[in-house]
Amino acid sequence: MMIAEYPPEFLIGLVILVIGTIATAFPRPKDYLTRLINLEIPGWGLLLVMLSYNEALALFTFGAISVLSTYIYVRVMQKKAGGAGT
Amino acid sequence: MNEFVLVACTILVLIGTTAAMLERDPFNKLISLAVMISGIFPFIIDRGLLDVAIATALIAPLSTIFILMVCRRMPA
Amino acid sequence: MIAIYVCAGIAVYAALRVIFQRNTMRKLPFLNVVSFAVTGMIALLLPHPITIAAAAAYFVGSTLESNAIASTWAGGIKKDE
Repeated sequence: MMIAEYPPEFLIGLVILVIGTIATAFPRPKDYLTRLINLEIPGWGLLLVMLSYNEALALFTFGAISVLSTYIYVRVMQKKAGGAGT
Repeated sequence: MNEFVLVACTILVLIGTTAAMLERDPFNKLISLAVMISGIFPFIIDRGLLDVAIATALIAPLSTIFILMVCRRMPA
Repeated sequence: MIAIYVCAGIAVYAALRVIFQRNTMRKLPFLNVVSFAVTGMIALLLPHPITIAAAAAYFVGSTLESNAIASTWAGGIKKDE
């Protein structure tokens, strides 16, 4: 079914993308960990927007690179903070 | 996908997003994020991209486990 | 067709129980309930033979994620005391 000529996952993905971007830009406890967890939200929103274009290889690549960048951010946080990241 | 399942998945996604934005404890944020990811998966299945759904379902917990490696260092 | 409606209703009810529960340890069983209900929705959504493989993959991944959160939460409290 289509809502106003757009598929529903496109609209839901845009809503999640906007909410997650605002939550990532202004995290409530101003912390690296909160910012990293909030960064997961627009990632899934972007995957939901990309889902409405039927490109399977793009979705594979996006999921793999999202997890890899999360691992790199975790390593950077552990190396920079030296244990307590607050 | 009919309207009832669509509305249920939309409610699941919006509840998870709002709760993940408003929570303050990292574990509560990760639980809300898991609720949001649960709402996203029926949309991937409904487009017919089953291989993408299998790969994403097996890759997505690795992201949470990598974040939990940082959560352990930081007692609340 | 009534089975997927039951699964969707259980998923929304358990998600509301997860959100409005304040204790972290009591949130985790309802997170598992959400995962099981969404697994049922995935399995019943399309009449395609590979759908059951997708449901099994989602079941494995979601249970792994939930148990990783529970294990880290319990171990963190024990090491902190």
